[in-house]
Order: sequence, then C-alpha cells, then structure tokens
Amino acid sequence: MEGLRVRSYIRAGLVGGIVAIYLMLEGLVERFGELNLIGDQVTLGRVLLALPPAVAAFVVMRPRTEAGRLVQPERRAGTVGGALTGLVTGGVMAVALLWADWFGIDRVRAVFVAASPALVEFLTFGRTIVTGALILLSVGVISGALGGVARTTDPGLRRPLTAGLSALIVFGLLQRVIPIAMVEIGLTPDWLYSPITKGLTWEGAAVVFVVAVAASIFWERRGRALRAELRAASDERPSVKFSVFLVLLAIAAVLPLLLGAVVSEVLGQVMIFMLLGLGLNIVVGFAGLLDLGYVAFFAFGAYTCALLTGATLNTTTGAAAPALSFHLSFYIAVWIVALLAAGLGVLIGAPVLRLRGDYLAIVTLGLGEIVSILTTSNWLQPIIGGAQGMRGVTKAQIGILNFQDNPQHFYYLGLAFVLLALFVSWRLSASRIGRAWNAMREDEQVADAMGINTTRFKLLAFAMGGAIGSVGGALFAVNLGSLTPASFVIFVSITALAVVILGGLGSLPGVIVGALVLIGLPGLLREFEEYRLLIYGGTLVAIMVLRPQGLVPNVRRMRELKEDERSQDAWAQAQAGADDGVAAEEPA
Amino acid sequence: MTRLLELQVVTKHFGGLYALGGLDLHVDEGEIVSVIGPNGAGKSTMFNVITGLYEPDEGDVRFRDSSVVGLRPNQITRLGIARTFQTVHLFPNMTILENAMVGQHCRTKTGVFGAVVHTPRARREEAQIREKAREALDFFGSRLAGYRQDQPAFALSYANRRRLEMARAMATEPTILLLDEPTAGMNPRETLELRDLIVRMRDERGLTVLLIEHDMRVVKGVSDRVVALDYGRKIAEGSYEEVANNEQVIEAYLGTKAVG
Repeated sequence: MEGLRVRSYIRAGLVGGIVAIYLMLEGLVERFGELNLIGDQVTLGRVLLALPPAVAAFVVMRPRTEAGRLVQPERRAGTVGGALTGLVTGGVMAVALLWADWFGIDRVRAVFVAASPALVEFLTFGRTIVTGALILLSVGVISGALGGVARTTDPGLRRPLTAGLSALIVFGLLQRVIPIAMVEIGLTPDWLYSPITKGLTWEGAAVVFVVAVAASIFWERRGRALRAELRAASDERPSVKFSVFLVLLAIAAVLPLLLGAVVSEVLGQVMIFMLLGLGLNIVVGFAGLLDLGYVAFFAFGAYTCALLTGATLNTTTGAAAPALSFHLSFYIAVWIVALLAAGLGVLIGAPVLRLRGDYLAIVTLGLGEIVSILTTSNWLQPIIGGAQGMRGVTKAQIGILNFQDNPQHFYYLGLAFVLLALFVSWRLSASRIGRAWNAMREDEQVADAMGINTTRFKLLAFAMGGAIGSVGGALFAVNLGSLTPASFVIFVSITALAVVILGGLGSLPGVIVGALVLIGLPGLLREFEEYRLLIYGGTLVAIMVLRPQGLVPNVRRMRELKEDERSQDAWAQAQAGADDGVAAEEPA
Repeated sequence: MTRLLELQVVTKHFGGLYALGGLDLHVDEGEIVSVIGPNGAGKSTMFNVITGLYEPDEGDVRFRDSSVVGLRPNQITRLGIARTFQTVHLFPNMTILENAMVGQHCRTKTGVFGAVVHTPRARREEAQIREKAREALDFFGSRLAGYRQDQPAFALSYANRRRLEMARAMATEPTILLLDEPTAGMNPRETLELRDLIVRMRDERGLTVLLIEHDMRVVKGVSDRVVALDYGRKIAEGSYEEVANNEQVIEAYLGTKAVG
C-alpha cells in the first residue's frame, strides 16, 4: 500500500518496546497493577502496558513535511501503520517475556530486582507464558492501531475523546481525594467510586467520560469566544480579573475543609514550595540570574527561625540549649528571618556579581553546597545541632489555630504567606524595579548604559528572592517542629528550580501551577512516591520538548523562545518595514 | 558658549592596535557636531570611552569640567550623557513603551517599599515615568505614537527600532545625546526625515548632539561643526565645507592620488 513507511514503524515500535521493558524493569507496571482505575479490570499497570505502543504509533503518524508541504497521513495508513508499530512494540514485550521464562525469571531477578514472578504473572494475566505472549502481541496491535487512528482522525473527534480518556485517568488517580471531598459536602461517592476496588465504578466511569466529552465539545464550540470575551472584559475593567482571582482564592480557602487532614498536609508542603518557587522566580525568572544553590535560603530560614523561637539541640544525651538562643514568637521571628535572609542574599550575591550564565550557576551551586554542609558540621554543632539537628521549634499558635499539629491550620498560615509573596512579586514586577530586572536580563551591558545600576539591582534580586525563600524555610521548621540536615540538600534547589521552569520562568501563576503539579500530585498519589525522581525527570523532559515556555508562560519569555524564528526572517521584516515606511508617507 | 564635553589626548588600544591615538575633541553646549571617518577610524570606540563602556588608557574625558573616567556607564548616563548603538540594542521582548520607560529609570527612585505599597509618591512617579516615555516616543510622530506602543519592540521595522533607541536615550533626559550612525539602514526618505529631527532635538529640546554619520547629506544638513577621524586621530575639523574639501580627508576616504 502506498504511504507506508515500514522502516519508521519498526524504529518507533522498537523504541516503544524498549520503553515498555524499562517501565517493567523499574517495577512501575507491576506496582501500579494494584491501583484500580475503573472496576478491577482497568488498572494503572495495564494502562501503562498499553500506553507505549499507542504513543509510539501516535508519534510515528505525525504529519510530515514533504517537499515543503505538511502531509497528514491518511486514515487507512494510520490504522495499518499504527497496528504495525504496535505489533513491533508488542513483539518486543512478548519476546522479552519468552526469553525471561526460558532464561529463568529468578536469574533475571538477580540483576533486575523488579523482574519477579509476580511481574510474569501480571504480564500473562495468570495464564501460560505462550498465551501471555500472544496477549501482549494483540495488546500491542490494538493499542497501536488506536494510536494511529487517533492521530489521523479529525481533531474535532480526537480532542473530545482524548479529554474523556484523560478525565477517566485523572478521576481514577484522584480516588483518595474526590470521595473524601464528596462526603464532606454531603454526597455519597459510592456510585462513582467503588468502596471495594477503590477505583471508579463502570457506571461512574461512563458518567465521567460523557461529561468530559460534552465539556470538551462545548469548549471547542464556544470556549474560544468565551475566553476572548473574558479577556476583552478584563482589559476594559480590571475588576473582572480581580473577581476571577477572588473566586480562585475562595476555592483555595475552602479546599482543606473539603479534603481533610491528609490532603491538607500535602497542600501545606505545596505552600512551602510555592514560597521557594516565588522567591527563586525573582532571581531566575525576573532578573535572569541562574541560582542553583537556592537551598541555602531554605536552610537559613529554617534554622534561623528555630534559633529565634527557642528550639533545642538534639544530642546523644538528650536535649541541650544552643549556644545562641532567643525566645520570640514565630510572628515576630519570621520577619527577622526574612530580613536576615535578605542580608545573606546580598552576601551570596556580592562575590558572583561579575559572573554570568553557566559560571554563575556553578558558583551558586557551590555556595548552596557550602550551606548544606555547614548544617551537618561539627563547627556549628553548638548552635544548630550538627547531624542530629534541632527540635522543639515553637508551636506557632494564634488563638484556636494550631499550625504545628493541625495540617489544615498550617495550610492557612502557608496560604497567607504565599498570598503576601505573590502580592510583593506582582507589585515589584510591574514597577520600575521589575522593568530594570527585565532590561538587565535581556541585555546587561545595554541596561547599564541606559542608567540602570546593575550591581544594585542584581543584589536586590538576590535579597528579595532570599527573603521570600527563607520564609518558606521558616514555615517548614514550624510545620515539622524539628530539623535535621537531611532536609537541606541540593534536591531542594533542584525541585524549586523545576517548579519555576515547569510553570514558566517569570510567571506567577506558573509558580502556583508548577508547585501543585510537582509537589501536590506526587504527594497525593503515594504509589508514585518511589518513582518521584523518575516522574520529575520525565515530566521536565516532556515539558522542555513539548512546551518550553512552561505550563502558564510569561508573555515576554514566550517571545524570547521564538527568537530563532524571528531572526531568520529579520531580513523579510526589515523589507516589510521599509515598504511600510514609504507607503505611510505617500499620502503626505 | 560653555564647553560641555571634552576629550583630552584620549588613547585607547586593543593589544597593538591603536583605536584612539591621542584624540582631542570638544563639544560646546547647544552644538551639533558630526564625526566622520572611514571604517575603523575609532569613532565608535570614542563613544564607548565617553559612555564608560571602555576606560581610556591615557587622557581624560571631562563633562561639565569634571572627569568621568572610571565612572560606571549608568553613572555617566545619570550625569546626562545618553547614547544609541551602531548595531541597535533594544530590549526586544519588552514593549515599545516599556523600552522608553527604562530610559526614565535613572531619573526616578521608587524603592521596594514604594513599589509594593504604592505610596502616593511612587504612584506619582510611575505616572511621570509613563508620561515622559510617551513624550519621548511622540517626538518621532506617528512612527512610534499611539496604538503601537504596547507591542514588543522586536515587532518594529529596522528603521523604527533605530527611532525607538533614540527615544529611549531621550527618555533619560540627557544634556548631550550621542548618536551612532542613526540613519544606517534607513531609506532616503526616512534619512531626510531624521535629519530634520536631529535639528529639532536641539532647537526644541535644547539637546546637544554628537553624532557619527556616514551619510554626507545628513552631515551637511545638521552639523555646526564636523570632525574627521582617521586611525584614531583628528585629521580635520571645521565647517562641513572646510572638512569636505580637506585634502587629508579626501585622501582618507579615497586613498592617495597616484603619482605620475
């Protein structure tokens, strides 16, 4: 048949197969086999099994440029090619299964811990090996064909179906959150979530699917117009934008009441990382200074807060008073912490003023490491407890609110500081200071020549970023009540940076979304905890490839990423501009 | 007339290459002085030395009778020396208005507290920044005015980018404006239009202008005085006619007459 590119199908299929085997050997497939999404038939493990062939087929069937034109593969080629791709992927999985059986699964297991008899059992659906291999083949063919069809089908049909399927997965994954919330507002969740399998019931799944499809169709038809209307309205009257904000705030305010203590605890963590993200966003997003040692401020905030509020040292012989201790209320201490952290920001910023880009990143990385090593050092042991850490950070209490033992109350404390940090960031970005940072980020030398004191504004960025990040650290200390150096490692810097990048550098809503996705989701889905790093890595790679401007991009950053395209038609633009100039003058 | 800017025996070399070899030059208040010279004569280096991007190896740069050598570029801009660049350097992803507003930066002083709390002073100042930036843009008439101001700067045509760069420099409220080949890349009609604008900068805004220019119609049209450079030295100075007919200048541009 014409239009078949067998070679690329085989290649894509092989890649899909390798990914599938990798997921199995990492233990994801089997582990998630216990997580029921719908009934007890559709488990996340089975979805993961069917996903590689479908994705491989979907990718290989993308429109290609042929002789300068975009060619969309036909439906029939999509089906057949997708099935072929899936066949290869399924084939790889089947061969791997047969080989593992022939070689002896226990011998494989000596190297790959996750290759257990339970995995074989899962892959064969409890039948013989050969049946299992045949099942894997047919799963590959079917989901590959579906993937191919999905790509070659009309977007008007594809989008609603994708929306429906995604909604099923999201609802299935949130099985611990949604039922609690439903009970809280007086609904019985039993029709939607089965109390036995914990996943969606089939009826519930049908409802979710239909609603998601309908919503998607509605959005396709009216959504664009609605959004344009809203945007126009908010341009005319800023109050519209403000009411949207108020609605979101109201949702944020009732969230912990609906979701209970467990979810609130996770949301509390999210708040801490929102603060870290907002602080780092000033340094990296606004001022363009890549700081890889941000954990320094987190640690500084946590330990300073502990010292100011009268925490004690953990020692082998019990608690001991630190060499330096104050007994302030948290509400006074937190401002002192922020102020001191701003000073630390200037101290860290001063030696790196002349550095740019890669060099700055490496030096800040080193400075961050110095701070995390200091937390374990014997030298500072009399003050901050060294490897044993500290305990007894004051209970931040005000009236009936108890921020340490009640996660819902802590959530509100975090929310208050996040709102404050958001407000400060927003006001700064829209001011003369924000413009100076922006100009500096775009071209430091020119900014200097235009009268911006780059030294001062770099230090200011470090100070502001440090102050906000240290408040995150102070909250962390108050929330836990005790500190150990294990919490202050480079991973904090990486996570904070990932939050900022995922959301979109320089974008305030981006930081919020980024923290929700990167901290909130893994916290809610405890099955993922083990694979947190794998999922972080995968998510970041996917974001950088598919949407480098971030989930909720900042307008200017979006422009920057398109710079390459622009410089290529700079000539054409200059021509158009020149023509424009002449044309504009003709009437005169 | 008072002496505004003065270069005294300024030398600048890069390795063995003398970009400026003992250059003397002065600009009086209210003057329009053009600097001409073949490529590599040291014209842009001279601008970079004046605005603090380079430090001179020898000699002194004096502005209003005090030395500016050793000051940072932003300090020199604050003193009242603004410039444009030979290759346009805008902040391409900021809007047109924001680019001009950056120019006002050194004339304002709202700090973190004012910016966050929106004190009445900060609000007044922000309004003033906006107004002064608009005013600078309006100087270029319909080219930069009106609906185009919230577009990103990169959307502008090449000629308009040059205009915006001049507007940004004017928004710093300078005493003297240094223009580095302002008409490069402009078509003949636009070049003539800009020639008139440069004269208006002095007549309406009271600016002193020092410009580097290759287009002799512009040089002839605007200059009170013309200075010709070659190999980092002044080879001629005077009215346009004097300099244009100077043998050394002709030689620098066209080469030596063949003997015989």
